[in-house]
Amino acid sequence: MRFIDEFYNYATSVDAAKLFRMFWFFFIFEFFRFFLIEITTLILWKFTSFFRKTRIADARLTLLEKQPFVSVIVPGKNEGKHIYKLANSLKEQTYQNFELIIIDDGSDDQTPEICRSLKKSGFIDAYYRNEVRGGKASAANLGLRYSRGMYVIHLDADCSYDRDAIENILVPFYYDLNIGAIGGNVQVRNYKESLCATLQAIEYMDTISVGRIASSELGIYRVISGAFGAFKKEALDRLGGWDIGPGLDGDITVKIRKLGYKIHFEPSAVCQTSVPNTFKKLVKQRLRWDKSLIRFRLRKHRDVFFPNDSFRWSNFISFIENITYNLILNVKWYFYIADMCINFGSQLFFIIPLNILLYTANNILKFLVFSPFRDRKNESISYFMIYLPLMVFYFGYFLRIVRTTAYVQELFFKTSYKDTWNPAKSSAHAKALKL
Amino acid sequence: MKFDKIEIIDNKIEYENLLFYSFDSGSSLKIEHLMGYDAIIIDARDNDFARYIIKKIRTHYNPEFYLKPIFLINYKESKDPFLNYLHDGLVYSYDQIKDIAEVVKQIFFKTTQLDYQLIPSFEAQTMKKVLNYMYTRELRTLKPYVDLNSIIGYTFPEISVHFDDAEEAQVLEIFDWAEREGLIWPDFHERIYLCNQCSSGFLSYREVCPHCNSSNSKSEDLVHHFPCAFIGPISDFKNPIDNTLTCPKCNKGLRHIGVDYDKPSIIHHCNSCDNNFQDFFVKAKCISCTQDIEVQYLIPKSINVYKLTKKGRAAATNGFLSSGQEIEDIFGTINMATFKIMLHYELERIKANPSQKTSIAIINMENIFELYNKIGKKAEKKLLEDLVHMIRENINAADFIAFENSSTLYLGLMNADTMRAEQQLMHLSILIEKVIKTNFNGFDVKVLHKGKILHTHSKAEMQLQEITKDLFD
Ligand SMILES: [Zn+2]
Ligand SMILES: [Zn+2]
Ligand SMILES: [Zn+2]
Repeated sequence: MRFIDEFYNYATSVDAAKLFRMFWFFFIFEFFRFFLIEITTLILWKFTSFFRKTRIADARLTLLEKQPFVSVIVPGKNEGKHIYKLANSLKEQTYQNFELIIIDDGSDDQTPEICRSLKKSGFIDAYYRNEVRGGKASAANLGLRYSRGMYVIHLDADCSYDRDAIENILVPFYYDLNIGAIGGNVQVRNYKESLCATLQAIEYMDTISVGRIASSELGIYRVISGAFGAFKKEALDRLGGWDIGPGLDGDITVKIRKLGYKIHFEPSAVCQTSVPNTFKKLVKQRLRWDKSLIRFRLRKHRDVFFPNDSFRWSNFISFIENITYNLILNVKWYFYIADMCINFGSQLFFIIPLNILLYTANNILKFLVFSPFRDRKNESISYFMIYLPLMVFYFGYFLRIVRTTAYVQELFFKTSYKDTWNPAKSSAHAKALKL
Repeated sequence: MKFDKIEIIDNKIEYENLLFYSFDSGSSLKIEHLMGYDAIIIDARDNDFARYIIKKIRTHYNPEFYLKPIFLINYKESKDPFLNYLHDGLVYSYDQIKDIAEVVKQIFFKTTQLDYQLIPSFEAQTMKKVLNYMYTRELRTLKPYVDLNSIIGYTFPEISVHFDDAEEAQVLEIFDWAEREGLIWPDFHERIYLCNQCSSGFLSYREVCPHCNSSNSKSEDLVHHFPCAFIGPISDFKNPIDNTLTCPKCNKGLRHIGVDYDKPSIIHHCNSCDNNFQDFFVKAKCISCTQDIEVQYLIPKSINVYKLTKKGRAAATNGFLSSGQEIEDIFGTINMATFKIMLHYELERIKANPSQKTSIAIINMENIFELYNKIGKKAEKKLLEDLVHMIRENINAADFIAFENSSTLYLGLMNADTMRAEQQLMHLSILIEKVIKTNFNGFDVKVLHKGKILHTHSKAEMQLQEITKDLFD
């Protein structure tokens, strides 16, 4: 009780200047980038949507008139159990001129039997199998090699798709002919499964759904999710397909950007995925994602920073933004903590609760303000509201620590090459070639 | 030692009270004229002629003919199992008749021991003939021989001779039946697969495109280049100039399999429909009827060597009782046992009331098995049900029907003397022939029937046997 009184007295005694001094990190970086810039972009986007409406309708009409042939490729290992459900749900799609190609990357379970029988009964159009596992990139490339469509849609076997998802993800190709690849809106299906999944659902709604509308508008949208992405076949062919992962989704996005294409995020093309339901699994997944920042931004694609033939300002900015907000700020944050400990050590007792209060207020404000921009929600706002206070710990501490660990591991030890996600034969080559 | 000169007069040879008939391709003789001859010598210079005569004799319904000793003269090597296994000896000149006389006598002696009981079922009749033949030749096993003339590729000469080459699959069904009856014992020899349309065993297995069934395709290795994750058929990597392998994505040469690249699988390209696939369909094309069949729909059959059981060996001399096929559950019929009991009571009733007239009758559809073999078990049962339904509509409610087997049925006709019974049977026969003809593509079934009034001076079962015998004689 006494603490609350003291805290209240302390909080009310802080003036604007002092508040800024204590929370400079928040005001300069986070509030600016993740609230002000995003909300401004979103408002502009919403405001101009009226003018885009007829153009989008025209694009949709052109798509439905031309009926381009599309190849849907689904690479994976031991995914047989999901394939029937996936194939069956794709039969419900509003857009039907596609072939469904399943690529089996050396499954050692029932997958071959399942897929062969599904192919026989016409549920899938083609089934290709590597008897020896070659990694996700080579599986996707095998699908690409034998796809006949003008567009290639990359799906994950264990995701499910809205009835109009395929139609919606194709429309932008006819809206802007310079678009080379389109990312779908990935939502969390199992958000009720555990606290861990619920927090990720909020994260996806925030950074993935709304955040990507903004970054797409700003031209700095970085990663087309492997769960749902559409590509111009010609662009993929020019690149020879995907390179070795992990992080191949981000990598292919950068490479398509480098070819001069625009990358677009389509919020109306909705896909539901299952996220890791325990923190242990989540840590493993995020370590892999975060390591790919170092591997791809700083090593493989460092040329975007140099003014050469393929130099583009949007690529440059996208990279700088990415590196600033993920790598540099991650380091800066520790400076901030040090600053607080040294200069405000005696007040930490009050600063930490105030910090939590501030972030929570920001999160709630952002969640509410951004809500109107989310067309399709998996649950009412109130369902998630009660979890919002926890997001401070999730974003501010949990993800940050995981990220730091990933950067240290990758920068100094290049551990991603040891990841069993790829077969050893491929990783060895990736490392040697500094990919 | 005295040498009898062997003389052939009008194809006749006499030797020690034995009369031989010598067949050559010039002779035109009705088989029935062989009555009274003890053995036949066929001039086998013309294989086809010899085969024709052997088949004609061995398939005759009368044991007098089908058991007749046959010898071949001027026989040259042949692969035809009928020529090789259905004769009783080879001779090189007519002088050898002295050597074969003993064989003829031995067969004749054995023939006198046979039982000629008539069994009103197609399977049983056929099997009985085979068992009789085997007994007189002291054979214990029925062996399969590879035979290109037989539609299933195998022939069991002693039994197959009764069927056309195209009907060979029926032989296997008779074996199944005989095995169930405990007459023979199978010893696995080979497994065969038959066309589900025409029972042919001549199938051409091909790997075909799953999209268009064409067998015109090209197969290639898939190559995975590790450094860049590119994967494609080996032709993508082939350099037309110097035949080296170069990655089309990163332009590096492939160096060492397992180190910088591997071949994770094989891919096929169909030249007919341009599709790519990895899993061929295996289809069997029937050489006989040209149908293309997925292998899982082929009919698997065992080719066995059959040994006669004790029951089988005894059947030739003692006869055997067929247990009949289980066709009791056809609505409107009773089983044979019940039929006999009812007949027994009927007889008692007539004894007490001599003005009562009841007849028993037998109807046999002689060639119905040809139809059954075409339409299968299910349609067979449906046909029998329809026939019973139709017969029921044309007889009295108190009359009763029982199936002996699927080709023969017995009727108990109340208030009918022999004349009335014969009239009713005539009417039913015409109806049966008509129904089958209209429902099965004009199939002509041959219906035999016999009716007789029950009399009180012998047992009901005896009277049943009598009309059965009368019918088949
Ligand atoms: Zn390569
Ligand atoms: Zn084909
Ligand atoms: Zn056939």
